[in-house]
Amino acid sequence: MTRFLGLKPDSLLVLASGILGLTASSLKRVIDFGAGAVTTKSFNLEVRKGHKAPSIIPFKNGVLNAVGLSNPGVQEMALEIEKFKKRCDAPLFASVFGRTIEEYGEVIQQLIDRVQPDLIEINVSCPNVRSEFGTPFGDSLDDTARVTEIAKKYAGKIPVSVKLGPHGPGIGRLARVCEDNGADAITAINTVGPGMLIDINVMKPVLSNKTGGVSGPAILPIAVKSVYEVFEHVSIPIIGTGGVTGTEDAIQMILAGATLIGIGTAVYYEGIEVFAKINRGITEYLQKHGRTSIEEIRGKAHE
Amino acid sequence: MSDLMQTFPIRKIIEHGPGVKSFYFDQTFEVQAGQFINLWIPGVDEKPFSVSHIQDGQIEISVKAYGPFTHRLMQSQPGQLLGIRGPFGHGFTLKDRGLLIGGGIGIAPLRLLARQLHERGLHFVSLLGAVSRHEIIFADEFERLGTCYFTTDDGSKGKKGFVTEDVAAIIETEQIKQVYAAGPEIMFVKLKAILDTLHVPYEFCMERYMKCGIGICGQCVLDDSGIRVCVEGPVLNQDDLQDVTELGMMHRNASGKRSI
Ligand SMILES: Cc1cc2nc3c(=O)[nH]c(=O)nc-3n(C[C@H](O)[C@H](O)[C@H](O)COP(=O)(O)O)c2cc1C
Ligand code: FES
Repeated sequence: MTRFLGLKPDSLLVLASGILGLTASSLKRVIDFGAGAVTTKSFNLEVRKGHKAPSIIPFKNGVLNAVGLSNPGVQEMALEIEKFKKRCDAPLFASVFGRTIEEYGEVIQQLIDRVQPDLIEINVSCPNVRSEFGTPFGDSLDDTARVTEIAKKYAGKIPVSVKLGPHGPGIGRLARVCEDNGADAITAINTVGPGMLIDINVMKPVLSNKTGGVSGPAILPIAVKSVYEVFEHVSIPIIGTGGVTGTEDAIQMILAGATLIGIGTAVYYEGIEVFAKINRGITEYLQKHGRTSIEEIRGKAHE
Repeated sequence: MSDLMQTFPIRKIIEHGPGVKSFYFDQTFEVQAGQFINLWIPGVDEKPFSVSHIQDGQIEISVKAYGPFTHRLMQSQPGQLLGIRGPFGHGFTLKDRGLLIGGGIGIAPLRLLARQLHERGLHFVSLLGAVSRHEIIFADEFERLGTCYFTTDDGSKGKKGFVTEDVAAIIETEQIKQVYAAGPEIMFVKLKAILDTLHVPYEFCMERYMKCGIGICGQCVLDDSGIRVCVEGPVLNQDDLQDVTELGMMHRNASGKRSI
């Protein structure tokens, strides 16, 4: 059992936002496969169709995606969260975003009027939405501070984690600003980039949006370093996310300072079975190194 | 096979009936009948299609014009480059004494199944239905491979009516041990009720709006089972479908919201 902000998930592995996160049925299945907690797809006030396909494309070492924050809107997602809560005791994290700073507050309000998630994750770092919304809020210390402040105000007793990317003014400084404004945790990191893939016959970008965020094995070192840096700057817990597909990756995240570990693109490489596999792997690692708990090695790379 | 996007020239295009065309590409992968590939028209969109035939080193995809994407596809010319990813998911399992039930363009994936059953010397019977005789594509091919029953809404070929009406009788007379179906979902709803009562095992080839095809976006997940059509499907059997509550009902569009 893991302890995280008063929650006691059965595993420290969390399903990352945007992966199998649209419906109660889907989220529940991931819990059945060994995740300790699940995060919903990011949603906002409106119903968004997102970009045309291809919007999610695997490449040799990862996945490039520009789904364009497609989502069925807060009302539909609240229904799914309600359904999940009826069927399952595992913690559920609701990921929200806004097109404006004020919208973050409104989404949270509309959500918690209907249902109480165990944590609200604030997505300020999706690298895909630049062209539409200007730069992500998470690229600016001021915007990140204001979004955190508003989210905390509306979330009330529900803990808030701010999801950051490796871009902008530096993830350590961003995390500090979040902590100063009341954030209860940091999720690090979102997808990296944006990046691009070009078809060499058609001679055009493959994604309909041309660019997209990079996830999967390619970003593991960036994610590990980001978690390491955040750990040096704040004392709130970290959900270390990015490129984790196996036990060794997960252990690196813990050594860098993560309390929970987000798993996303690994579902493509390893199947939903990846959760059970890493759960087992972590137990074996602890035994092999004569440790009785994860706490003994958390952040150990800093010593 | 490749999950990665690769582009290939269209080798040949053949028209099969009103608004139905087959597109041929060099075969670069093996396909189980029922598996799908994603077809990308650069600059337009990407959609899933089942492979309808493999012959002479070429794969064939048979398409009916019904929306903006398929209309664009109809206008493409031989030599044009299209993206292909796949094949994805799980196809039909090949068993003896099968009944192949196809509705409309759902006949296309069954054509490859018929061929693969035939190659293995497995006995099967076909029951194909459509609006009219023109829409029963590849009828002569199915007839060459075995016994066929036809139904049309207007009575222009075979019996007037729906495929579901004679299923029970055909299962009895042909001693059917396995049903395979592809077509509109309302047909699955009726078939499921009939087959569950008769305790005949079945496999349906499902369709859903798909974003990734690789099991991560959650777009194609079925309520309440959590099954992903793109990975565990598109062919699902009677056990997979036991907990599926959305058969023939609303499912998710591009935003993830349910609609008809
Ligand atoms: C298809 C896809 C959709 C995603 N959608 C979201 C999203 O809606 N909100 C969000 O905060 N992160 C989203 N992400 C980012 C993931 O949550 C995660 O931070 C990132 O992919 C890195 O982790 P991974 O390498 O384990 O996938 C998405 C990632 C992918 C691949
Ligand atoms: S289409 Fe993305 S999970 Fe099936």
